[in-house]
Amino acid sequence: MDALTWLEGTMIAQAIRETPWMYPAFETTHYIGLAMLVGGIMLIDLRLLGFARDLPLPPILGLLPWVWAGFAINVVTGTLMFVYGATSFGTNRMFWLKMTLMALAGVNALVFTLSTRSADWIASGHAPGRIKAIATLSLALWLGVMAAGRWMAYV
Amino acid sequence: MDFLAWLESTALATAVAETLWAYPLLETLHAVGMVMLVGSLGLINLRVLGYKPALPIAGMQTLLRLAWIGFTLNAISGVALFTSDAVHFFSSYTFRIKLVLIALGGLDAAFVTRKIFPDSRAESSGEFAVEADAPTKALAAASLAFWIGAVIAGRLIAYTP
Repeated sequence: MDALTWLEGTMIAQAIRETPWMYPAFETTHYIGLAMLVGGIMLIDLRLLGFARDLPLPPILGLLPWVWAGFAINVVTGTLMFVYGATSFGTNRMFWLKMTLMALAGVNALVFTLSTRSADWIASGHAPGRIKAIATLSLALWLGVMAAGRWMAYV
Repeated sequence: MDFLAWLESTALATAVAETLWAYPLLETLHAVGMVMLVGSLGLINLRVLGYKPALPIAGMQTLLRLAWIGFTLNAISGVALFTSDAVHFFSSYTFRIKLVLIALGGLDAAFVTRKIFPDSRAESSGEFAVEADAPTKALAAASLAFWIGAVIAGRLIAYTP
């Protein structure tokens, strides 16, 4: 609790509190980041599951930089919003559910990356069953992240 | 205004306003629909602008289905959210700007997709432009701006008069 109170008293938190447009700007940018992050993930996962087979896999997997850019934007804006309201976010169970689901999605993405190291299925355009399982789990986890994120304001 | 007040008194509106989980559920669906719509239309528009030339434009027509699902999801969840606070939303300038941007984005997307995808009614032999012409590219760039603008306006409704 002390760390959360300290965070809320930092200069950054004070600056956000005293500048009325800052918080809405972070929230809006967080949504743009969301569209890039989950938009990219959704297109990759759906293609792995067999949707839009006319699109070759390599350029679809090449959308990953958008995912990383969206993730970076949301880590920065998310951290700033957390600092602003540390004592309420830090004690919000939906916030911690969101963080847990994101960590799981991260592990899932790491497993996927390791699975694509030596993958002859990429050229064939058909993902094997274990990759489809990873893609399904990824869609479910990010849906959960979004839902928990929205629910934070209501608990 | 009478109509808006009536909307707020409907069973749907009171259910959304008074059920604990209805509002966050509708907001979540609205965010999911946004990701589907903006994600798929965004990639189509970027491809028209020359990004990822390895993606065949004709093959991207399937992504339109995703955009339509997202749009439908958001029309439904959006109407439900609107009814719960109709008077406030209708009088919000940011909300009106959002609706205008959606209308422009939809119209724009209709032009772009008609230009790049073969007419499904005609017996298509796959004869259509491999790369988009300059006006279509300009429309694709405008489409990106309209939809990003709609997302921004949507977030700002809560903070503006």
